[in-house]
Amino acid sequence: MNDRARNIALFAVALVLAGIYLFPLYWMYVTSLKTNSSIFAVPPEFLPGTPQWQTYALIWDEANIPRYIFNSLFIATGVTLVTAVVGSGAAYVLARYRNLWIDVALFVILMLQVLPPSLMVTPIFVAFSSVGLLDYPRIATILAISAKTMPFFVILCRAAFMTIPRELEEAALVDGNSRAGALFMVVLPLARNGILVAAILIFMQGFGEYVYSTSLIADNRLQPASIGMTNFLQPNVVTWNAIMAFAATYVTPILALFVLLQRNIVSGLTSGALK
Amino acid sequence: MNRLMTSLRDGIGFDTLLIFAALAYLMAFAGLPLIYNIIISFQQVDMFSLGSLFHQAVGFENYAAVFHDPLAWRVLVNTVVFTLASVFFQFTIGFAFALFFNQKFPGATWFRGLFLAGWVMPGLVVGVLWNWLLSGDFGVINYVLLSLGLISEPIFWRSDVDYSLIAVILANIWYGMPFNMILLAVGLAAIPDDLYEAAELDGANAVQRFFTITLPMMRATIGAVLALGIIFTLQQFDLFAAITSGGPAGSSTVAQYWSWQLSFREFDFGRGAVISVIMIIVVLGVSAIYVRSTRAETRL
Repeated sequence: MNDRARNIALFAVALVLAGIYLFPLYWMYVTSLKTNSSIFAVPPEFLPGTPQWQTYALIWDEANIPRYIFNSLFIATGVTLVTAVVGSGAAYVLARYRNLWIDVALFVILMLQVLPPSLMVTPIFVAFSSVGLLDYPRIATILAISAKTMPFFVILCRAAFMTIPRELEEAALVDGNSRAGALFMVVLPLARNGILVAAILIFMQGFGEYVYSTSLIADNRLQPASIGMTNFLQPNVVTWNAIMAFAATYVTPILALFVLLQRNIVSGLTSGALK
Repeated sequence: MNRLMTSLRDGIGFDTLLIFAALAYLMAFAGLPLIYNIIISFQQVDMFSLGSLFHQAVGFENYAAVFHDPLAWRVLVNTVVFTLASVFFQFTIGFAFALFFNQKFPGATWFRGLFLAGWVMPGLVVGVLWNWLLSGDFGVINYVLLSLGLISEPIFWRSDVDYSLIAVILANIWYGMPFNMILLAVGLAAIPDDLYEAAELDGANAVQRFFTITLPMMRATIGAVLALGIIFTLQQFDLFAAITSGGPAGSSTVAQYWSWQLSFREFDFGRGAVISVIMIIVVLGVSAIYVRSTRAETRL
């Protein structure tokens, strides 16, 4: 078989594999555009008839989407800020030195990265409620999620800092910069791509978070979109087009961000996770 | 005082400050809760005693209650089955895909990246999508299986005690497979091409090359991916919440979901903490092995 035929065959297989894998996403969009009755057609209609865009308009108001999305953005922004501000410095120090203490700190951070939120939420809820933090449920949620995202952020950013030559920073020090000056003027700008990718991954995690939000935020007006979705999922639901429209509204920004930054995310992820 | 300021500005004090800020944060919001978790697992904590930091001690009562719970055995089996099945299929399918996209053809890298679209989605949305795909009467998966003649009547994935755990496993395989694939693809890319060329010259066929070059060269990566797979699977919560809520009758309840249910559905935080303590020990054990082995093989 010559190269050209081989390439076409492989390309076709890749197309089929990607098509099968991404079918659930396609099905979400198609279902969201169907009428109340055609979602239950047997056999299922794999292509939408006339797109029912009004479902989106309807749930926008009825399901309080603006409020839910605002709360999700609020939590995601808070988590990203706390994680990046506190975590970047630590990542820098962990990249700069190699000694026993750094190894111990790294080990502790790696261990904290694996703690499942669904298990940590019990002590955090009990502790937060007794010290009064639950009076500010969204802040409490941000603080709890950040403890989960920070180790991941530190590991990813450390990999970014390690690619920056020490000599550049030393040159800045010789030129009369303070350590903080060298960090802010030289090191951080050079590492900004890695930090940005890590921050975006953290933002996505905060935007989709569920466990802490559902456990710590009792007031419906302060809950994020992930909880807004579960409110739909009562037993014997029939409004699958509305649910899928909610899901599509919720994840389309994430998917768009992913498509834009696909290359950066993949490389950032792989550099941090295995080294 | 002056020396301290100078150190903070220019010396080791600057680094110490930066690292301690992060460690202090993690201590406050992860370290202390870990210790507090152990304490409340020996206490009676319910809605009425929530307000105070310390509660009535009950010794091993919570532990005894959990171990004698009729659901305990079921949850243990479910957790093991869910973890092993998810990791096994995520890994094998991910490996097959990584091998496929490792072949050089136009667009291979781009196609491979597409799969991460599943991975970046919030777990809860993935769960809701699969809830609809697996619907009993109108689910598209039942329709496909029926048309292919693989089943003769619809499976009620979410409400049949024999299938509810499988439903969540299916969703979790879809959700976690891309991450396995990407990590394994990185490992594959690191194997030098000359090794394969040399083996080909020596007359080794594709299968022989896989077992004598690919697998041995990938040992460290495979170990890391499997360990990470176990760790991530033990964190999975959203899919259960969105697909089966652990039901029916606990048939799809795993440990991490049970712990949350005891705390936030039955408001028995002491018993929730018991399971939490046990599972955290398991997770930390797995990750300690993972960290040690990656350090030995690839220097962290």
